[in-house]
Amino acid sequence: MMNGPQFLVLACCVLCLGQGNLLRGEESAKAVDYLTEIKPLLAQRCSSCHGAETQKSGFRVDSATSLIQGGDTGEAIIPGKPAESFLMHAILGTNGATRMPPKDPRLTDAEVDLIKRWIEQGAKAPEGDKPLAPAEIKNRNHWSFQPIQRHPLPKVQRSDWSRNEIDAFVLARLEAEGLTPSAEADRVTLIRRLSLDLLGLPPTPAQVESFVSDQSPEAYERLVDHLLSSPHYGERMARQWLDLARYADSNGFTRDQPRVIWKYRNWVIEAFNRNIPFDQFAIEQIAGDMLPEATVDQKIATGFHRNTLFNEEGGTDPEQFRIESVVDRVSTTGSVFLGLTIGCAQCHDHKYDPISQREFYQLFAFLNNADEPKLEVPTPEQIAAGAEAARTELRKKIKELEADFEKQRPAFEAELAAWEKTVTEEQKTKLPILVTNALNLGLSMRTPELTKPLIDYFKAHEIARQKFPMLQQISDLQAKEPTFITTLVMKERDKPRETHIHIRGDFLRHGIKVAPAVPAVLPAIPAEVQQPTRLDLARWLVTPQNPLTPRVTVNRLWLKFFGRGLVETENDFGLQGSPPTHPELLDWLASEFVANGWNLKAIQRTIVMSAAYRQSSKFRTDLAEMDPLNKLYGRQSRLRLDAELIRDVALAASGLLAPVVGGPSVYPPQPAGVFDFTQDKKPWIPATGNDRFRRGMYTYLWRSSPYPAMTVFDFPDANVACTRRSRSNTPLQSLTLANDQTFVEFAQGLARRILLEAQGDDTSRMIAAFHWCFGRNPSPAELQRLLKMLEEQRATFTTDAAQKIAPPNLPSSIAPTEAAAWTAVARVLINLDEFITRE
Amino acid sequence: MTWPLPLGSPKRNVNEKLVDTMPHENDKQISPHDLALQAVTRRHFFQQCQVGLGSVALASLMSNGANVQAATPAANQSALKSTHFPAKAKRVIYLFMAGGPSQLELFDYKPKLQELNGQVIPESYVANKRFAFIKKDAKLLGTTRKFSKQGQAGTEMSELLPHLHKVADDLCIVKSMATDVFNHGPAKLFANTGSPQFSGRPSFGSWLTYGIGSQAEDLPGFVVLQSGPRGPRGGSALWGSGFLPTSYQGVPFRSGAEPILNLSSPQGIDSNRQRQFVSAVNDLNQLRLEAMGDPEIATRIAAYEMAYKMQSSAPELMDISGETKETLELYGVEPGKPSFANNCLLARRLVEKGVRFVQLYHTDWDHHGTPGTELGKSLDERCAEVDRGCAALVQDLKRRGLLEDTIVMWGGEFGRTPQGESRDLIGRDHHIEAFTMWFTGGGIKTGQTIGTTDEIGYNTTSDRLHMHDLHATLLHLLGIDHLKLTYRFQGRDFRLTDVHGQVFQKLLA
Repeated sequence: MMNGPQFLVLACCVLCLGQGNLLRGEESAKAVDYLTEIKPLLAQRCSSCHGAETQKSGFRVDSATSLIQGGDTGEAIIPGKPAESFLMHAILGTNGATRMPPKDPRLTDAEVDLIKRWIEQGAKAPEGDKPLAPAEIKNRNHWSFQPIQRHPLPKVQRSDWSRNEIDAFVLARLEAEGLTPSAEADRVTLIRRLSLDLLGLPPTPAQVESFVSDQSPEAYERLVDHLLSSPHYGERMARQWLDLARYADSNGFTRDQPRVIWKYRNWVIEAFNRNIPFDQFAIEQIAGDMLPEATVDQKIATGFHRNTLFNEEGGTDPEQFRIESVVDRVSTTGSVFLGLTIGCAQCHDHKYDPISQREFYQLFAFLNNADEPKLEVPTPEQIAAGAEAARTELRKKIKELEADFEKQRPAFEAELAAWEKTVTEEQKTKLPILVTNALNLGLSMRTPELTKPLIDYFKAHEIARQKFPMLQQISDLQAKEPTFITTLVMKERDKPRETHIHIRGDFLRHGIKVAPAVPAVLPAIPAEVQQPTRLDLARWLVTPQNPLTPRVTVNRLWLKFFGRGLVETENDFGLQGSPPTHPELLDWLASEFVANGWNLKAIQRTIVMSAAYRQSSKFRTDLAEMDPLNKLYGRQSRLRLDAELIRDVALAASGLLAPVVGGPSVYPPQPAGVFDFTQDKKPWIPATGNDRFRRGMYTYLWRSSPYPAMTVFDFPDANVACTRRSRSNTPLQSLTLANDQTFVEFAQGLARRILLEAQGDDTSRMIAAFHWCFGRNPSPAELQRLLKMLEEQRATFTTDAAQKIAPPNLPSSIAPTEAAAWTAVARVLINLDEFITRE
Repeated sequence: MTWPLPLGSPKRNVNEKLVDTMPHENDKQISPHDLALQAVTRRHFFQQCQVGLGSVALASLMSNGANVQAATPAANQSALKSTHFPAKAKRVIYLFMAGGPSQLELFDYKPKLQELNGQVIPESYVANKRFAFIKKDAKLLGTTRKFSKQGQAGTEMSELLPHLHKVADDLCIVKSMATDVFNHGPAKLFANTGSPQFSGRPSFGSWLTYGIGSQAEDLPGFVVLQSGPRGPRGGSALWGSGFLPTSYQGVPFRSGAEPILNLSSPQGIDSNRQRQFVSAVNDLNQLRLEAMGDPEIATRIAAYEMAYKMQSSAPELMDISGETKETLELYGVEPGKPSFANNCLLARRLVEKGVRFVQLYHTDWDHHGTPGTELGKSLDERCAEVDRGCAALVQDLKRRGLLEDTIVMWGGEFGRTPQGESRDLIGRDHHIEAFTMWFTGGGIKTGQTIGTTDEIGYNTTSDRLHMHDLHATLLHLLGIDHLKLTYRFQGRDFRLTDVHGQVFQKLLA
């Protein structure tokens, strides 16, 4: 490839050549008239791509102003200097520019000459030359860009089915197709469905019993309200939101070091439990730090956009990966709130939707001005005890001692190097994993971040302590230092960064400078906002005039309750997305949501109160024929539970669940060998006690090696926002439920419960176990098969084998073979399809 | 992960045609209820099922020749009914040398570079270039390795790969590879997914199994093996299925008797008892299926049967003690000792079973020049670790007739610079403009070296083979038009080669 200067030389030659060939004396002297000679020429030859309708590369040719202003790569004309004018290179195909027009017929030599002379003569045009027509926004009339409308309820024939407005829309559609809705599900199914959907936990047998026997017409409604007020509601909602936020506990890429950001997860749980309006919920996450008198909580909320990846590999350019994070933030904002694939416009104008590359970088400009610090979050107790002031004082002393130490650093480093030589391979295996990792790095691969564990380790070493006494003093003082929990937040810079278009998405190739703005196809930010900021973007996302955010949000909720969105492409409301199956219903829900102050609990209450939601999920042959994908909601959907819920229902059924809400991530057991395939071994010491039995959402998430029992059930990888999980059904899932140590422990827990809590003979114990797992009575055939299994196991378990599988620490009165037989049965129960399904 | 559905699926062996016909209703009496259920079940497989079949296999499930496109959900319509062209290869073994091996020590000998050893690289090479570690004034570094011509084709190779010399005529060496990004994580991702960002793109093996399924009956269709001191940088995203259904992701096989997580039954549960467990689960699931009619339950029943089979088939696969002494000697392996060569032998055993894509990572090729990463002893060790296994794999596949339709490929995420890296010892930095890979097997024209580089080995000077083009070419050999294997996600039809990719004709036989 030729480099820049070579190109330039060539380009000049071409231009000179043109001069020699074309210029005849009388023509070169003649003044070119813009209005009669240039404007019509460009209009005829260029305006189909660079006119009022389309402006490829952000460039239009139908006015002198826009010609001189140029497009995304910069100005197109330098008056008087054709050789330096991009327009000339474009029509000649020189200097690396793609030749324009791209297809024949090209401009004739005479036409090229005309343009060249016009530029040479100063590119003169009448002042205030207007474009031929104002810019048109293509596809502006696409359905999702239209204002939300509240349609009247459709007329339906059947009058005994509908429970609220939702049902009128659903029923009308079914009736139009000659279909009938399904009957209401039985009460056990209803309470299990509601409980799993709203809390992610199954109901207890007592809750089932009380609901089933409550004959009052308000029983269902009371149940819904009860569930919505449970603290577990926030957990269930939060985990779904964390999919969108691409939450994880590590930095990703190759090193994938740990990060601390669980305070953000706590914030999300609490926000849902407090039912803060969705508009406020959104604003605080996008720009909580910029709110007047921002509270600590509002700052924590900005962790939403700090969940991006961070590359700690040696030899990387930090700016490159900062830019990648901002790109991800733009794309994520687009898919989470607007349901648009804005990310497609990073390198070029969006192929289908009316979003130009320039508009991508205008959005980028909103998000490009933040610093990305860690925020310390003292507890209320720490605040009351004046911990911050105490620490300042201690730090002052430490700093003095450290200055003393720094004077001796070369001596320290020599000691460290000498010590390193003495470390044997065997000793290495006993050192903390991060120290071993650092030791294994070659000297020049050692970044400060990666060697810190080694240096810290050696500072505490006997040798160092003896030679450098201040290290002991420092660590004594440090031991007294209060530590504060930290979390990652956004903090707006005083001086904004400049944002340029990145030509073809390459951060090293700057096009024109852009200012923050929202896409023209959507309602504008109010004109009185002079220099809009990230906070204005946040507010704009949730203005009632924005037709997308409410639609996208209610659609995602619908997806949760029915397994399919009213817009099936929940992440694409653009031209390539699927149109809504029930457009009026979508708009009714969206308008209801906004009218009620973006009240999440209220809109979900409305959905689950509907008759449509309460239908049975049983397959019907007529529906299977007419509507195999159940797009018309003639029945409910059977949905395999989300990955973390599979763990949760097993914890609940086995009676092991530690229902603590919030807090740092935990380490339940996982199979050996998980880190065989990662660059660094990760610390993973299985928790004992309560933390071993926490809900799946609190499991520590390493991006490079996520928790296998969750990944196998389609838990997202947290590298990008996940708007919908897939639901696969594989043998690896069977192996997990059948053999994973965690699930064996759950089976043992359930067996222990059966043996210690259930009363009576085998049959009544079996029924009790069935209730813990499914909330219902087994059918005679099911009961018979389970009892057969029990007998088979009792008859064949040897004491030796039994002791290996039976729950530990049972009273000695229970024979190991008996305990093992029940464990085998419990194992069957938690492996059943129904156990991991929401009907 | 990918496997054929067991619902009445016949035993298949690796030599059978890609598209085979599933049996029609067999002779046993079937009740009307069962028939209705089967009809629903069949349709369901087209509509929602994500057990991990490519549509080739899916199409074969149709007993009545109904229109697959009509029954397939919009999002999946591009999964193939049959290959676009007759496939030259049916499976791939990708020997991934993680870290970026030095082509200048192994394949690409440059006399001029020897001559210029110690001189600063001319600025014309490095203007506007970025590097991970070295500066623009780094000095050129000649190699200390001896090169010789091998085989009838006179293929140039270094002394570091003596075993590979023996199969020189079976190889096609490409000296003109190029890629886009120079950090390990992004570059590995790029080689595997065609994108350098962790943005949820599917890996090659996932695209392949999504496109044409797998012939393995009781093993995953896409298996990942690893050797060397650590896992490859980038982790699970390298074999992830991205936006494709999770069932297409690569399954890491660990060394030892339990290659797949949770493969062993719990303590106290022997095989007989596990069988009783599976029977009870499936009998009860069958009752549920009858009550609810959801074919997803039938899939789960099948999954439990398959899982049970895998509990014996996967350890059997890993147990190489049944291989002849001669074979073990060929690879230089001992049963029970994990190594790259051991993984090569496992790769052969996996493709024999019909696994579609096997990827072997061997790590620690990142020779920057620190102790443990220098071009002397460390490179000797890396080469010694892989040389014999690579050669043995080629020979073994060949004598078994498997090389005819199996692609074997060797290479890293990038190569290394002609400039030396001045660290404690001798090394080179990451290099993306020109590096070497080799290929053999189904449909590949062997006994040739393709591509040239300039006199110092900095840039390619002919037959540049970019990663996107390599992907297009591999798919072509497997019978797939890279432009037509697409998946609709976020409103766009994605493909492995994104908006790039051209089939590289010179590689083709």
